[in-house]
Amino acid sequence: MNRNNFFIHLALALVLVLVAAFAGQLSRWRKQWKSHIGVVPATEKKRATTVEEISISEARRLGRPEVLVRFKSGVSQETIERLTAQRNDRVEDRIENVSGLEAIDDLDNADATTVASEYSQLAEVEYAEPNFEIELDTAEGPLVPVLPHDPQFTDQWALANSGQRGGKQGADISATLAWATTTGSEEVVVAVLDSGVDYTHEDLIKNMWMRPARMAPYHDEELGTIDDEHGFNAIDSAADPMDENGHGTHCAGIIGAEGENDIGIAGVNWKVRIMPLKFMNAGGFGTTKDAIEAINYVIDRKKAGVNVRIISASWGSTQRSRALGDVIRKAYENDILFVAAAGNSSTNNDRNPHFPSSYDVPNVISVAALDRNDELAKFSNYGVKSVAIAAPGVDILSTWLGDAYEEKSGTSMATPVVSGVAALVLAEHPRMSVDDLKKKLLASTDPIVALKGKIATGGRINAAKALEN
Amino acid sequence: MAIDKDSAVQNAQKDLARRLNIDAADVKQKSVEDSDFPDMALGAAEDGEMSGQMITRGWRIKLEAQGKTYEYRADKNQVRAFNFKGKNHRV
Repeated sequence: MNRNNFFIHLALALVLVLVAAFAGQLSRWRKQWKSHIGVVPATEKKRATTVEEISISEARRLGRPEVLVRFKSGVSQETIERLTAQRNDRVEDRIENVSGLEAIDDLDNADATTVASEYSQLAEVEYAEPNFEIELDTAEGPLVPVLPHDPQFTDQWALANSGQRGGKQGADISATLAWATTTGSEEVVVAVLDSGVDYTHEDLIKNMWMRPARMAPYHDEELGTIDDEHGFNAIDSAADPMDENGHGTHCAGIIGAEGENDIGIAGVNWKVRIMPLKFMNAGGFGTTKDAIEAINYVIDRKKAGVNVRIISASWGSTQRSRALGDVIRKAYENDILFVAAAGNSSTNNDRNPHFPSSYDVPNVISVAALDRNDELAKFSNYGVKSVAIAAPGVDILSTWLGDAYEEKSGTSMATPVVSGVAALVLAEHPRMSVDDLKKKLLASTDPIVALKGKIATGGRINAAKALEN
Repeated sequence: MAIDKDSAVQNAQKDLARRLNIDAADVKQKSVEDSDFPDMALGAAEDGEMSGQMITRGWRIKLEAQGKTYEYRADKNQVRAFNFKGKNHRV
């Protein structure tokens, strides 16, 4: 190369470097500008808007890394590459200024949330999260999904169904989109009328209601004065509402297991106040009279100033009690929603009513159960006149006695999903009346083919829709 | 204390003998099957009883006495006579 050619090549190289640097800066400016506007995971579920769907296909076509993983200090690059290769993943980029932070591309194009969760559980990993794509958040733009880091969240298909275990992607209540609006409020109290609640469970303890110190212990003319520090036990008013069965604890976790605490699962509400009411014994059954006592307690506490707006009732029988109907009506008059299980006999409640879900009282919402493929659960009762709405209720993971977690099925499990969504709505609209709340919930469904002609709304509850104005 | 399958069958046999006023030895075990029941009262709620609407694993026990078949339902918490002379009974 002669001397002139050398300088020409050098000048060209300098120009190229300058152009590249300027383009890079432009890109960074663009990202910084957009980061003030909103974030959307690169691979989000099916219910996502058109913009997000485009993002998914683009992400896959372009091979955009699905997750950002920060490995713990001291983890070698060899180990990182071995761990990613084991999962058929590839380190796409290393973020130099943050030690251990890698952008990882999943070559199988698995759901980003699932991939991030898998990495989160590795001992070598400090944290992992989906690679968020920056999108312009216009007034009409997409909602912004929010994903908790609770380690078993990926098993909670009811909240985010990525197709895990043979399920149907998107057959969920759109919880991650709802959480963009609210994750709940400590001001909303949900009464779990059940077998009590293990109020010491590590994933529930921070979301349990306790009688405020300024509030006098509960007094009933027949029962006398009761220390209701943790709630109410209608079986033995001298005892507290500690769960001896597990059913009530399971329902409580669905409504409000603490979210984003790096423990177990996330409830529909990450923050809420759960009031335990015990009327079912260690076997999971109880008397109508004790159920009435407990509802009466809720009404009294509401009158005393506790913001208890929802009773979640995952129980029932085919026997009608006028007294039970009357006390539920009294709850309605006190602005309390009553969410009830439709029953598990695979029967039509229009013909064979199931109570309390079949009471014709304005605050009652009867709930059927769906499986992970958006099919009516084979055990679920239905009724186009008497069953209002459906929610996930098969293989539902939630809290159990002794800091444990178990999967259970039943309209018992679908009911607290709807109660939980009601609590989210009240977190956002604290003054909403019980009539408006019920109307809002029933208008917030995704139509499901299997439910057409089976239940009144023909749909699955959608938490994100319930929070739309 | 949790009930196991064998003690559930024994309790059911004793209960049926008492209800029929016959000797327990005259109550024969016809079958015992693992079963999923629709609720926590094992689909055999007594009058005025409410139960959790959770699918519950247990045993369906069929007994024979005096030429008739009787059904009991049990799980780790309870034993119930199902539809005995038109009513359910918790043993």
